[in-house]
Amino acid sequence: MAWIKRIIFSAMALVALIAFLLGSRPTEEVAPPGFTVVEYWEKWVGNEAAQMKVIVDDFNHTVGQQKKIYVRYMSMSDIDQKTLIAVSAGVPPDIAGLWDQQLGGFAALGALEPLDNLATQHGITAKSYLPVFWNACHYNGHLYGLVSTPGTIALIYNKLIFEQSAAKLRAAGLDPNRAPTTLAEFDRYAAALDLRDSSGQIDRVGYLPLQSWYHPLISYWFGGDIFDPKTHHFTLTSPATVHAYQWMQSYSTRLGQRTLIDFQNSLGAFDAPNNPFLVGKLVMEQQGPWMASYIQNLKPSMSEILVPKSEEYKLPDRRANYAWAVAPFPSAVPGEDDISYNSFDVLVIPANAPHPREAFEFLAYVNRQDVAEKLCTLQSKNCQLAHVSAAFLKNHPNPYIDVYQKLAASPHARAVPSVPIWPEVFKELTDTAQNITLSGADVTTALAAAQQRMQERYDRFHRIELARQRAGLN
Amino acid sequence: MNKRGRLVSALFLHAGLLCVCAGLILPFLWMLSTSLKTLPQTTETPPRFLPHPWQPQNYGAIFTHPNFHALLYTRNTLLIAALTVIGTVISSSIVAYGFARIAFRGKGILFAIMLGTIMIPFPITMVSLFRIFRWMDVHTAAWLGAGNFLQMLGTFKPLWLPAWFGSAFNIFLLRQFFITIPRELSEAARIDGCSELGIFLRIILPLARPALAVVALFSFLGVWNDFLGPLVFIQRPNQYTLALGLEAFQNRVGGSEWNLLMAASVLVCVPTLLLFFLAQRTFIRGIATTGGK
Amino acid sequence: MNHERRNFFKGIAFVSPWLIGFIVFTAVPIVLSLYYSFCDYALTNPHRGPYWIGLDNYRQLLHDALFWKSLVNTLYYAAMALPAGLLVSLGFALMLNADIRGQAFYRTIIFLPSLIPAIASAMVWLWMFNGRLGLFNYLLGKVHLPPVNWLGERWAMPSLALMSLWGVGNTVVIYLAGLQDVPTALYEAAHIDGAGPFRRLFAVTIPILTPVIFFNLVMAIIATFSILTVPYIMTQGGPNNATYFYTMFNYDQAFRFLHMGYASALAWIQLLITLFFTAIAFWSARKWVHYE
Repeated sequence: MAWIKRIIFSAMALVALIAFLLGSRPTEEVAPPGFTVVEYWEKWVGNEAAQMKVIVDDFNHTVGQQKKIYVRYMSMSDIDQKTLIAVSAGVPPDIAGLWDQQLGGFAALGALEPLDNLATQHGITAKSYLPVFWNACHYNGHLYGLVSTPGTIALIYNKLIFEQSAAKLRAAGLDPNRAPTTLAEFDRYAAALDLRDSSGQIDRVGYLPLQSWYHPLISYWFGGDIFDPKTHHFTLTSPATVHAYQWMQSYSTRLGQRTLIDFQNSLGAFDAPNNPFLVGKLVMEQQGPWMASYIQNLKPSMSEILVPKSEEYKLPDRRANYAWAVAPFPSAVPGEDDISYNSFDVLVIPANAPHPREAFEFLAYVNRQDVAEKLCTLQSKNCQLAHVSAAFLKNHPNPYIDVYQKLAASPHARAVPSVPIWPEVFKELTDTAQNITLSGADVTTALAAAQQRMQERYDRFHRIELARQRAGLN
Repeated sequence: MNKRGRLVSALFLHAGLLCVCAGLILPFLWMLSTSLKTLPQTTETPPRFLPHPWQPQNYGAIFTHPNFHALLYTRNTLLIAALTVIGTVISSSIVAYGFARIAFRGKGILFAIMLGTIMIPFPITMVSLFRIFRWMDVHTAAWLGAGNFLQMLGTFKPLWLPAWFGSAFNIFLLRQFFITIPRELSEAARIDGCSELGIFLRIILPLARPALAVVALFSFLGVWNDFLGPLVFIQRPNQYTLALGLEAFQNRVGGSEWNLLMAASVLVCVPTLLLFFLAQRTFIRGIATTGGK
Repeated sequence: MNHERRNFFKGIAFVSPWLIGFIVFTAVPIVLSLYYSFCDYALTNPHRGPYWIGLDNYRQLLHDALFWKSLVNTLYYAAMALPAGLLVSLGFALMLNADIRGQAFYRTIIFLPSLIPAIASAMVWLWMFNGRLGLFNYLLGKVHLPPVNWLGERWAMPSLALMSLWGVGNTVVIYLAGLQDVPTALYEAAHIDGAGPFRRLFAVTIPILTPVIFFNLVMAIIATFSILTVPYIMTQGGPNNATYFYTMFNYDQAFRFLHMGYASALAWIQLLITLFFTAIAFWSARKWVHYE
């Protein structure tokens, strides 16, 4: 036995040695001499990270060459934690890629460099942007970031299942060849599209209010709001918000809490091949334009139902090649059409970053129309800019990109509310939604409790902030 | 007990242990089976336990995957592990000796404080720790220039240097075993004119060799699977450890390339598994070390 | 120099590595965090330093529903996982200690789960608990029992506790080591006295094992109160905060909600709670732990 052990031990030592000697490091790019190195930390780690890398390389080969700036790009998970620790220790990166929902909190607490002057110098103004994104990049009247790619939320539905259920839909007085246009109609579509198996268990649902990162903003589609910055008050008990949560509850009541939990837990993650929408268990959902590329990667058959992908432009309408379609998510308020939540990835310059000017060169580069269109096409997103080319709309991986573009330009386009404690509000609203849908809590009571807690939290934040200002400690 | 009774009880034991082991190994087997599946098989319903067809190429794919540099991560992890293990063994045994064998004023309170430190959640010290390292860097840079050999941030030092100052858990462990070594042994040596250091080096350490092996193994496993430390102190992908690389890999391919993720996970735990299998006798004897018997 | 003083310097010399490390790597950070716990502080800007608000964080904490919820959750988990883990691992160790063939094999298998990276084990268990595709419901179906919603609001916590039993390998090994200590002479004596296996267990084995049980108890208390990675990957605290652990709340406050001061207060409370339970363990130890 002893010699066997010795052999295995030696083998392991050998492997360790080999790993030691041959574990060559992937060569770190060295900036050309005399160049300013701009450190850029990006939150995306998957395909989106690689797509952004293309843009970084472009920059380093063109504008970077001229202006002697080199962007060193690092994609990392848990970026908020790492950025915060590095910032607090005084070694921040020059650029950080964050989520829209983090911007307000970071800006409120002095984490970000205001970009107003730099933007003006580069000719980036309100005119260049769609208003919804321009406004959302501001906090307290100052610009704190520029969009890298936006993602507008709309209704995506399985066109094939609509067609297969034509008889049922028609029996309910609905047209299987179009999307619902009002919320009442949407509910009737959803109910008609539910399918139960022989044992009476739900096998397919028309729609489910599954918990997601955009759900806390559901009241937008009901004409509701979250926070009123003028009065410093939350509006979680407004009739519109109550309506929104009642609506969510109506789905869990009709389908059963079990179904909701099963769908939430049992089916795959959003980016997994067994995502309920991809396997045909969920017919309608709210999603952003990126869905096109996820569907393309995970279930290509849904994007080439007539001809191979490469030939789709030979069709009179390339949309006919897709098993799915996109429409504005219907609104509950008559007359207020084209409501949407407009999320976005945002590039910021942390406070005390060593090279803010050089960093802004990259931000400006990403917001040049040709570059923005390229990046948004790569990541399958819509575009934040006021003007996009016809080629962008035509060549985009999502054949419905014009729908998203139109939604983002609509006067009813909304973005994340400008609340400094938004991450807390986000959690509170997520919890409230779970409480209402999974535990059947009373909507009015739950929202009133959430309102009270959040208001208290905000008042405390505000009180300490004022005290800080008085003490001159900001 | 008669022969027959012994046989029966052995049979029962084997049956019991087999059941327990079957339950415990099942998740691992599923990991293994997933790591050998083709991509579509990983999300099949109902799940199939035996992959068909097999795809052992997954393991090869791990080594060439653009998002998982297995050899590099292993190298980094081994480097940190080696420095941590050496540091922990040396410093923890010295400190444990002090706590176990020397009666000095304030020992009780110091020992209690040390035990208390085990309870301090790392997340709460990590931010200040980071700032302390930064502070050290600023000051050493003023003396020795930027990027000197004392540079902390951006190197592996924040991960292994603290180990050279003893780790509370291991000190506690060693102390528990040092106190069981009969006092007569060290008293005899002391009468022979042996210094305290001499007693430690010549009497206690040789007797405690298996216990030291345990500390070495525990600290090795600790480094091997440590996630939070590297997460905070390592930014550059070429400095990733295996645990960090695995997490990044999961973030990158999670939900899609399940089979590769599981193959990588299996690869990450195979070395430690082999190590335990080979060393387990020493390991257990080590924890059980008592000088007298 | 008298004996006592010489011993003092000798003792301090031996423990000095730890003492230095303690001051630099633990005491300073912990004192800083104590200070932060009385401040409004975010990690967002070095120039926006801590601002003293006295006991405000602690006051806030008292009527923070999530604080209580996460605390109760953690205690609930501890009440299940702690005793179960200690008992199960003791059972495994007793079985493994018997003089039988294939010990190395059994030991390795029992230790195996503690070697698997947390991320991988979380993934595997997510699949096992899965309502539709999972192994557990599949097995329940085989014996004609209704499926259980393992990660639902009601069962999520017991499920996590169940899962924690999978990783008892570390504890088992320490028990095993302790069992090697039991002198065979004592067994033989008990045997001659006609003690049956159970009497031998309770009269000989367990009493001798008490220091090790105590060690494992202390370690388990500490580990239980700092559990984070696995539930974060598996449930993110849900559903409906049923598995929202104290440490998660702490983490969220520090890095998601940007309240480092509040998080420091939470960490101090956690420290005090752990200390409290450990102190109870130490205090009770006088009654049941036998040192040779």
